[in-house]
Amino acid sequence: MTAVLRTPAAPPTVRDEPGGSWAAVAALALFETRRLLTRVPVLLAFAVYLGWTVWRSGKAWGGYPALQDADRATQTAPMLVGLAVLLCVNHAALRSRRHGTEQHFGVLALPPWRRTAAHALSVVAAALLTGVCVAAQFGWEALRPGAIGRGSMGELLVGPLTVLLFGLAGLLVAGLVRSALAAPLLVVFCLFLSVFGTGSGEGWERWLVPVVVESTSNTLPSDLLGRPAGWHALYLAGLALSLGLLAVLMAGGRKPVVVAGVAGAVAMTLLGGVAQARGDSPELVRARERATLDPEQVQSCARRDGSTYCAFPEWQPRVDDWAGVVDRVRSLAGGRAQVQDVVVRQRVDARYGLTGDAALTPLERPHEVTVGTQWGGNRVPEFSAAVAGVLVAGNEKASTSICDGRIVTVMWLALGWESDPMAALRRVRLNDTVTGSDSVLQPTDGLYMTAAQTEVLRALFERPRGEVTARVKDRWAELTSPKVTAARAAQLLGVPAPEGDDKCLD
Amino acid sequence: MPGLTRALVLPACRTLPWRLVGAAGVAGLLLAALTRTTGETGERLSLPLLRAAVLAFAMGLVFLLDDPARHTTATVPAPRPLRVALRVALVLPAVAAWWTSALLLVPPDVRPPVADLTLEAGAAFVLAVTGAAAAVRFTDVTRPGPLVAAGLLTSAVLAVLFWPKRWALFVPVEDDRWAAAHDRWAVVLAGAVLVGGVCAVEPVRRRWGRGGV
Repeated sequence: MTAVLRTPAAPPTVRDEPGGSWAAVAALALFETRRLLTRVPVLLAFAVYLGWTVWRSGKAWGGYPALQDADRATQTAPMLVGLAVLLCVNHAALRSRRHGTEQHFGVLALPPWRRTAAHALSVVAAALLTGVCVAAQFGWEALRPGAIGRGSMGELLVGPLTVLLFGLAGLLVAGLVRSALAAPLLVVFCLFLSVFGTGSGEGWERWLVPVVVESTSNTLPSDLLGRPAGWHALYLAGLALSLGLLAVLMAGGRKPVVVAGVAGAVAMTLLGGVAQARGDSPELVRARERATLDPEQVQSCARRDGSTYCAFPEWQPRVDDWAGVVDRVRSLAGGRAQVQDVVVRQRVDARYGLTGDAALTPLERPHEVTVGTQWGGNRVPEFSAAVAGVLVAGNEKASTSICDGRIVTVMWLALGWESDPMAALRRVRLNDTVTGSDSVLQPTDGLYMTAAQTEVLRALFERPRGEVTARVKDRWAELTSPKVTAARAAQLLGVPAPEGDDKCLD
Repeated sequence: MPGLTRALVLPACRTLPWRLVGAAGVAGLLLAALTRTTGETGERLSLPLLRAAVLAFAMGLVFLLDDPARHTTATVPAPRPLRVALRVALVLPAVAAWWTSALLLVPPDVRPPVADLTLEAGAAFVLAVTGAAAAVRFTDVTRPGPLVAAGLLTSAVLAVLFWPKRWALFVPVEDDRWAAAHDRWAVVLAGAVLVGGVCAVEPVRRRWGRGGV
C-alpha cells in the first residue's frame, strides 16, 4: 500500500505529447462540424440555397451562359448560408456558458482558445461545403454545350469566403458579448445591409462589403470587366482570418504564432482592400474604348457559306449558332436575298463597364448585322429580325427605319422558320403582345409593327409554311419595294386584307 | 386571485429580462435613427429601416418567457396563463414607449403611415412572444429565447424571400396592395394572439418521451 502511494504520480502527459492537444482539437472540431451542419437554420439555409440555385439554373441565360457572368451568379445565395452559420456558431460557442458547464471544462486539458479554434474549424468545414456547392453550380454551367468565356477564381471564392467571414464574425461576437441576443441582432443588421447595401453604390466603398453586385446584365469580354476579383477575394480572406484569429486571441491563445497570424491577416486585408479600390486602369479604359468603337481590331472573323462572322475571341464557338439562324432566314427569302452574303459583327458598348449599358447604334455599312454578346432565349428571334431586316432593306440603318408593308416580309423571314412562330413573336415584341401595334426588339434600334401588319403576319403563321414561303419567293420584288402597304402585302400573299390601323409611329 | 396578482407584480417585474429587451431596444432605435442620416435616400429606406428595427426589438422580446425556475413553478397556485399575462402586461408599456420613440426618430416627412406600420410591428411583437409561448408549451427548455430568436429570424428571412405574391405582406408604401397587405397583417396579428393564448395554458401532463418525470 505504502509502496503504491510512494510511486510518483505520472505528470499529465497531454500537454507534453506533441500533437496530443491538436488531436483533441481535431476531434472536437469534427464534433462541432457535425452539430453545426445538422442545426435546423443551417439545414434550412442549405436547402433554400440549393433549391433556389437549381431552380434558377434552368432559367438563366437560356442555356448559353457566359462564364464571366456565371461566376458572379454564385455569390449572393451563399450569404443566406452565411447568416445561418453566424447564428449557429455563435449559439454553439455559448453552449457551455448557457448550460453552466464552463467550470467543468476548466479542469480539462483543452484550454478555451483551443475550443474556440475547434469552432473556427467547424466554420471552415461549412465554408468548404459551400465551396463544393459553388463549384457544382459553376461546373454545371461550364459544361453546357453553349457555354463560352472564362470564369474567375476570385469571383468563385466569394461565396465560400462570405460563409467563412460571417461564421467567424459570429464566433468573435460570442467571445466579445457573452449574450444570446448579440448574434440575432447582428443578423438583423447584416440582413439589412445585404438587402440594401450589397455594393450598389459608386466608388471604392462599394468593395468593402462581401458581395458586390453589378447594376446591369450587360455581358462583356472577360478582360474588359474591370472587377478586382482576386484582390477582393484576398480582402475577404484576410478579413475572415483576422476575425477568426482575433476570436482565438480573445479566448486566451496568446501564442506568438497567433499574434503574428493576426498581424499577417490584417496586412492581407489592408493589401486587398487598397488594391481593390484602385479603380479602372488607363489601359482598361483604352481597351474598352477600342472594343466599343473599333471592334475590328480585336475581333477575328470566320466564314460560313460565304457570310463573314466577326466576334470577340471568346465568342468564336457561337459562330455556328449565328450561321444557323442566318441560313434559316435566307432560306425563306427570295430574289437576290437568298444568296446574299452578310457580315455579322459582334458589338458591345463596354465604355461604361458594368455600371451602365448604352444602346448600340445601327450600322450603316451594307449587309452588316449587329449581334450582341448574349444568346439564347429572346436574343435568337431578335438577331433573326435584324438579319431579316438587312436582307430586305440592305443595311441596318435603313432596316430599323422601315415604316411600311415590308415589315410583314421582314417579320416573316425572322420568325417563319421557328417551330412556334407565334411564341417567338410574343418574345420578340417589347410588351409581349401578339395583337395590335408594338415595338420589335433588335440588337440595335427596334422596329415598329402596326396593328395591320401584325394582323397580316398572324394570318401568314396560320397558313402552311411551304405555301407562304413559295408565295413570298414568288412576289419578292413587290413585297420588298418601299411604300408597299400592309393591305397590298396581304393581297400579294393571299390573306384577307387587314382592318387594323396602318399608321406608323414617328 | 387579485391579491395574488398584486403580490406577483414585483417579483415578476424583477425576473423580466430587462437587459436583453433594453439591448434589443437600443439596437432597434439605432436602426430607426439611421433614417436621419441617409439624406435623400431616406424616403426609400425609412420603411425597411423601421421594419429592421421592429425585427431587432422582436429579437429581445423572444426572451420574455425565459424562466430558469419554470419546472419548480408548474404546481404553484398562480396558473401559467396568469404569469405569462403578467409578464406581457409588464413589458407592454416599455414596448409602447419604444415604438413611439422609434417612430419619432424617423423624420416626419419620410415617415410611413403610422397606423398601418403599428399593425405590422404589433404582429411581429406578438409573433415573437407567441413563439416563446409555443416553445415553453411544447418543450421542456427553461430558456427558449435563443432557439425562438433563431426560428423567428429564419422564418422572417424565408417569408421575405418566398412569401407568395398573391398574399403579399412586405409591400412598399406606394404599392397598390398596401391596404390589402395590412388586412393580411391584421389576420396575422389575430392568429398570433389566438395561438399565443392557446399556448400559454399549462399542459395537463408532460408529453411522453420528453425528459422523464
